[in-house]
Order: sequence, then structure tokens, then C-alpha cells
Amino acid sequence: MIALQGVGLERRTREEYAHDLKGRLFALAAGRYRRPPRRIVLEGIDLTIHSGEKVGIIGPNGAGKSTLLKVMCGVLMPTTGTVDVHGRIAPLLELSAGFDPDLSVADNVVLYGVLLGMERRAIEARVSEILRFADLESYRRLPVSTLSSGMAARLGFSVVTDVDADILLVDEALSVGDEGFRAKSRGRIEALWHADRTVVLVSHDLTLIRTVCERAIWLSHGRILADGDPESVTVDYTRAVDEAAIDALLRSRVDA
Amino acid sequence: MVVTLPDRRLLDVTRVLYERTLTARYRGSVLGIVWSAANPLGMAVVYAAIFGHTFAPYYGNSLVRYAASVYIGLALGGFFIGGTSQALMSLVQNAALLNKVKIPFAAFPLSTLAAYGFQQIVGTLPLIVVTSLIVNHDVLHVLALVIPLAGLAMLAIGVGLLVSAADVYFRDVAYLYELATFLLWVATPIFYPAGIVPAPILHLLAFNPLFAILESVRVLVLTNAWPSVQLLGLSFLDGALALVIGVATFRAMRSQFMDLL
Repeated sequence: MIALQGVGLERRTREEYAHDLKGRLFALAAGRYRRPPRRIVLEGIDLTIHSGEKVGIIGPNGAGKSTLLKVMCGVLMPTTGTVDVHGRIAPLLELSAGFDPDLSVADNVVLYGVLLGMERRAIEARVSEILRFADLESYRRLPVSTLSSGMAARLGFSVVTDVDADILLVDEALSVGDEGFRAKSRGRIEALWHADRTVVLVSHDLTLIRTVCERAIWLSHGRILADGDPESVTVDYTRAVDEAAIDALLRSRVDA
Repeated sequence: MVVTLPDRRLLDVTRVLYERTLTARYRGSVLGIVWSAANPLGMAVVYAAIFGHTFAPYYGNSLVRYAASVYIGLALGGFFIGGTSQALMSLVQNAALLNKVKIPFAAFPLSTLAAYGFQQIVGTLPLIVVTSLIVNHDVLHVLALVIPLAGLAMLAIGVGLLVSAADVYFRDVAYLYELATFLLWVATPIFYPAGIVPAPILHLLAFNPLFAILESVRVLVLTNAWPSVQLLGLSFLDGALALVIGVATFRAMRSQFMDLL
């Protein structure tokens, strides 16, 4: 279960922050220092996701979808409100993001697994199984830099989907590899989707959300605009996007 | 003050990152270790060739003794400066990773220091121990080395945590720290005898935490005598103090790290 209560998040805007000790000291000495402005990324998020629920999050770019996932998995601390998570949580990362090209394939599996939150001993016992699934057993001792990008993606997929977690956070759909592996990975994703596992999926693919989720949340400017049946939420969302596009089109005609 | 032990997850992550650093650096070869032993040895020879005759009177007119003293200074001072300088960048360098997964922040500076320390200890400690046994035939002297070396480790961890946190806030800290370590290099009797420093300045040098550590090790390794309790105690306590300050500051600041990474 994930419970967010009155969650708000403010972040420094990257451009406004000086990142410079000398500059800061001179500014302080000259009395010119002011606190950098802060940008509201999430505001007033009240959300409870029950065990076993499959929830899709939609919204335009910059709405705060990925940020919301980061707050759920504890990478970011909310400025206001509380986050309460029951169960082991696993983020399904951008595949192959955490690999070190100089390390062997087997060492990378251990490194990646531990970074993802597994216990070292648990992942060490799983290495052979993971390599077998990725069809990379013969590469075990070779550095990851010798793998093709497709093979690296396959390895990443095999590690992140090997997790034994109660809650999965997925940012964009997972799809890797050649035809043969794709069929295999589809099977594994379906297994991940099993009944008592909670899944939170961020995607722009509305058809996917309608097919695999039983609840959809529409996020805009860091707030929840709609929360409910995926069919009606995605239809409302599509309509709003279309209306905005027509508005913009009309306005440009008037200006011209 | 509540003291909490580092948790299981911090140790697990620190260990895989430490192994990654070591494996990536040496790819299984011993060359790196040989290099970290040969580097201060070569430097000590050069220092002895240039400053040896001037400074030998402070070392019982022995060039070898001067060279050994420089070797200790280079090995320990090099560990502190090299290790903390690498730890400084460790959080910022891994910003992309920290933005994806929740990882205990301290694992990055700690694993960096551990990898650097392993290389230095394996590379330089054997020669220091052998020298001590040749000079004073006393295992107790060797065992007592644990005190200043533990002080050095704590000092490096404390300062490493501090500067890695500072680097998150201000990205020019690396340049300022480079300047600071250069001043430290000059203000520490690494290649010169403490005896050449005028008395009033020498009192100031006692505040340099590396001073007590280096001098304790030198007395233990290069003489039959024992360092004063005061000196030996200081070599440990300076490190402990730095560790407490470093850990406390790091903990107070870490909640804001993600906003800046």
C-alpha cells in the first residue's frame, strides 16, 4: 500500500542556483544575496494505492509524473505532507542505466541488484539464473563494454525484472531485444503483473494504460486533475489535449 | 547524542561500490599496488638527493633515515590528500544514479576512501612495518602503529564526508580544496624536519591534525623510543573529533542533497 497525504514538493530551479562558494561569499559580503526562488513541482497530492492495484499515471510532459514516482520510492523527500509505504518497493529503471562498462557481466549483475535494493547474498545466488534468462551465460566473465547495446538492455531487463517486490514503479513501458527475447520478456512482464502485486505505471501510451490498469490518474502542473476509471480519465484527458490544440490553432489564426 | 550504527544496506552498497572501484582500477592486476608502493619510494629518493645534505643533521647525519622519514610522510599524507580529494567528487559524480534509486549517500565517499586506502595500505604499509622491525626489533612498536593509523582513517573519513557534502552545495569546492591541500602539504612536516620550524609557528602546526599522526608514526618506526602519551593521544583524538564533526554535518545536510543533485 502507498499512502500520500497532502504531499507537496518544491525544488530549486537549476538555473537560479549559483553552485559557487566564492560567488556566494562575495554576494553575502556585498549584501546582494537572496534566497533562490523555488518552483512547485507537486502540490496537494492525496492518494492511496491499495495492495494489488494497477495504477496508470498520465499527463503532459513536466506535469510531475516521474517526480511523483521518485517521491513514492524515497529518492525525493516531500516538502510538505507524508508518504507511507508498506511493502518492498522496486523501481524498474531505465534499462542498463547503472552498468559499469569495465566490470564483468556477472559483477554488474551483483552491483545493479544491490543498487536496486536487493541484499548482496540474495542477488549473488541469482546471478546464473539471471544470465540464463538474458541468454548471456557465455559472457559471464567478459566486461559489459563487449556487449552490444541490445544485449546490455536485455541484461538490464533481466536484472530489474528479477526483483521480488510487492510494489513496482514503472516509468515508461519496457520493451527490449529482438523478436525471440521480446516474446520471452512479455511473458515475464505478465508474470510481474500478477494479482497481489501493486504496480504504478507512468506512460504516454493511453491504450496501454487502458489495457493493463484498473485505475488512472491524470496529473497536470503537479496536481491531480482526475482519478478513476482508466476509460473515462483517458477520454477526458484526450479531449482536454485536443481542445488545447484547437485553442492554440485558433489563436494563431486570429493573430495572423 | 544518539549514536546509530551504519545499517546493513549502507554496508552492502559500500562494499559493491568499493569492489567496483578496485576491479575497475586494476582489472585484477597487481600493477596498481606496485605503483602505489614505488611512487613514494621514488619521490623519497629524489627528496633525499636534493634536501638530504641540508636536513641530514636532524636525522643523526643519516640520509637513509631522512629518506625513510619522507617516505612515511608521503605515504600517509598522500593517502589523506588523495583519498579525500577523490571522495570530494563522489556524490556529484553519481548524481544521475542517485536520482533514480534510493541509495545511502554515505556509501559513495566511504567506498571511494576504502578503495584508495586499500591500495595505499597494501602498497606502503609492508615497507613501513619492515623498517620499524629493522630499526627497533620490537613488535610492540609495530602494534602501536594502530593508534595513529586509526586516527588517520577517522580523519580521512570525517574530512571526506565533509568535503563531499560541501561539493553538492558548491561546485567550486574542488578548486578551493586543491588550494587547501597544497597549503596543508606545505604546513605539514612531510619532507622537512619539524625541527626547522621556528618555535611560535611550531605551536600553530600542532593544530594541524596530520602533524601528530605523522610524528607518532615516525617515532614508532624510526626510533627505539616511544612517542609521548600526549602526542599519541592527539594522533587518535584529532581523527575521532574529525569523524564526529564529519558524520554530524553529513547527517544534518543530507536531507537537502537531492534538491541540488
